[in-house]
Amino acid sequence: MAAPHPEYLRFTTHRSLTHRLVLSTLTGRPVHISQIRSSSPTQTGLAPHEISFLRLLESITNGSSIQISYTGTTLTYSPGLITGSVEGLGASGGVVKCILPETIRRGVSWFLIPLCILAPFSKAPVNVRFEGDGVITSATETGDISVDSVRTAILPLYEKFGILSSKLELRVLQRSCAGPGGKGGGGIVELRFGSQVRLPKTVHMNRSPGRVRRIRGVAYSTGVSASNNARMIHTARGILNPLVNDIHVAAQYDQAPLVSSRDKSDPGAKKRTGIGFGLCLVAESSVDGVLYSADVVAPSSGGVTPEDIGKQCAYQLLEIISQGGCVTRVGAATVLTLMAMGSEDVGRLRLGRDVIGTEDVVGLGRDLKMFGASNWGLRDVDEDDSTDIIVSVKGTGVGNIGKKIA
Amino acid sequence: MAPTLGKRKRRTAEATEDNREDDGEGSASLELDAQEIFRRHFEAQFKPLPVVQKTVKEPEEAPPEDESEEDSEWDGISEEEETTVQVVEHVDAHSQIAAMSKEELKVFMSSKPPTAHAKQPLIRNKAGTATEDDDASEAANLKKDLALQRLLAESHLLDSATNPTLSGNNRHKATDLRLQALGSKISILKQEKMPMSHRKGIIAKQNEREEKRRKEAKENGIILEKAKSAKKFEGKRDRGVGAPAVGRFSGGTLKLSKKDIMEIEGPRRSASGRGGRGGGRGRGKRGR
Repeated sequence: MAAPHPEYLRFTTHRSLTHRLVLSTLTGRPVHISQIRSSSPTQTGLAPHEISFLRLLESITNGSSIQISYTGTTLTYSPGLITGSVEGLGASGGVVKCILPETIRRGVSWFLIPLCILAPFSKAPVNVRFEGDGVITSATETGDISVDSVRTAILPLYEKFGILSSKLELRVLQRSCAGPGGKGGGGIVELRFGSQVRLPKTVHMNRSPGRVRRIRGVAYSTGVSASNNARMIHTARGILNPLVNDIHVAAQYDQAPLVSSRDKSDPGAKKRTGIGFGLCLVAESSVDGVLYSADVVAPSSGGVTPEDIGKQCAYQLLEIISQGGCVTRVGAATVLTLMAMGSEDVGRLRLGRDVIGTEDVVGLGRDLKMFGASNWGLRDVDEDDSTDIIVSVKGTGVGNIGKKIA
Repeated sequence: MAPTLGKRKRRTAEATEDNREDDGEGSASLELDAQEIFRRHFEAQFKPLPVVQKTVKEPEEAPPEDESEEDSEWDGISEEEETTVQVVEHVDAHSQIAAMSKEELKVFMSSKPPTAHAKQPLIRNKAGTATEDDDASEAANLKKDLALQRLLAESHLLDSATNPTLSGNNRHKATDLRLQALGSKISILKQEKMPMSHRKGIIAKQNEREEKRRKEAKENGIILEKAKSAKKFEGKRDRGVGAPAVGRFSGGTLKLSKKDIMEIEGPRRSASGRGGRGGGRGRGKRGR
């Protein structure tokens, strides 16, 4: 393993940093990332959330080494084995604690989604508890989805790969929206990923995505009036009811989390932060495992009525449904990566043209190729007159090194 | 700002009252009323006047009100009042928001990812949740039947003033009743072991209470149920293995009571023609 001069894969900029680090960990190839926000005069180098993610990677792996340059613009990462939450290697009570600082602007789903991609390939179950003054469980203005969406729209995708969803858990112990200025929150989230596989199953989702059969969702108000929930739900239902009759949205009201007030004169003082409200909707199709999700949250500066949020969320859901395909943009990275890590067999995935045409998905394809995966095969769907594209992904057969027999 | 507003409000109220008074005192309206009374009187005696007049009258009725309002010195404010009265109706269909059923909500909001095909329970027996009464399946009918039977058997427990619910102490009583119905010999409420003096005391107290109840009922002329007499032994007593079939063996002797002897001897006959045969039978028995 310890080659004298490991061959670094070289990348630039912070674009899809988490995903590159995940791929590096899965394939065992060290990476060298440079020019991370090197042109920005004020926020040069790695951002707080990226540092936190590196710390998290280090705590769930064994033998990984991370080197960051003085300015933070260059990063060298050589991955280790994914051990998960093993006692003695950072975990206490079987849970790895990941404390996020209050300067973070990204939602906790930004950490959760890449972590979930790593988790099936771990040696032991991955139990991570996110806490601290920077955990935002709601959706954020920076484009992250809420934890409810992760649980109801992303985690069910793993079932197709032979990963038991009964062993997955995402506990939201304390909800929080983004704090003042979109920075920080005070939430507590615990991910328990108890299902590890040797190789994920080959997935064929090349049939018609079916029709939307029902819509579920969660409206959350944290530290603001619980009537906001009802108003968001009412407006969203007003738009969606003529289209689908089976709509149920749960309302979740919570107190705002208490965090340390950072007052030097009174170190024990606490304050409430992270108030706000938002709506998450998930449309389930008649075909098993096809989910479309939408997430809208009130900005931390406020000034938006719940009716607007409900309306926006309903329209966003309709837009995402109209994009078609079996997997949405938020789930595409997860599904495509797991397919690429599967056995050396060709899996097929039907994606909407607008989904595959995004920078993220194209960038993901290129990154996968850099890490040694095969090229994707693309072809139009010819069974029906939709404009969807079928992506054929050949697995690399890497799978779980920790569970490798012989 | 607030106090002035309050004043204005009061004034406008007064103004409207004034207006109304003006309406009442207005000569035009008085005349109208008089006409109306006359018309009614006339119609009562003769036949109804042509309807055309009514339609003419109605537009006449409206203007006097307006006039009176214009005449009043508070016209500006009253007009303002008219324009400011806006009925804003915030229609909120909270009741229409069909919430998920309790089970569904529990499953959906749990920490696990929702399964693709969550099965819904067919019958929910809880009072809070919706019961599907139109479910005609055999299982549902059986369930309802059982519930009814239980209600009939246990409803008397609900009579007690201290605990009118089927919980707490009454739940234990109900359980006991069910066990008895299933054939249990002992009651779960009866303490199995206790000092004899306690047991005697308890039984004595029970008897005393029962006697008192009966006595009072008798004094008041209330007819009670029949007193449950102590159970008399009927049928054969179970003797142990090796014990004699008749009599009692004690002190190395078999003791026969008179009753035993009577039974062995059989019924005594009076001296009649059949005595010999009867004696014969008796003899036979004796020989055994």
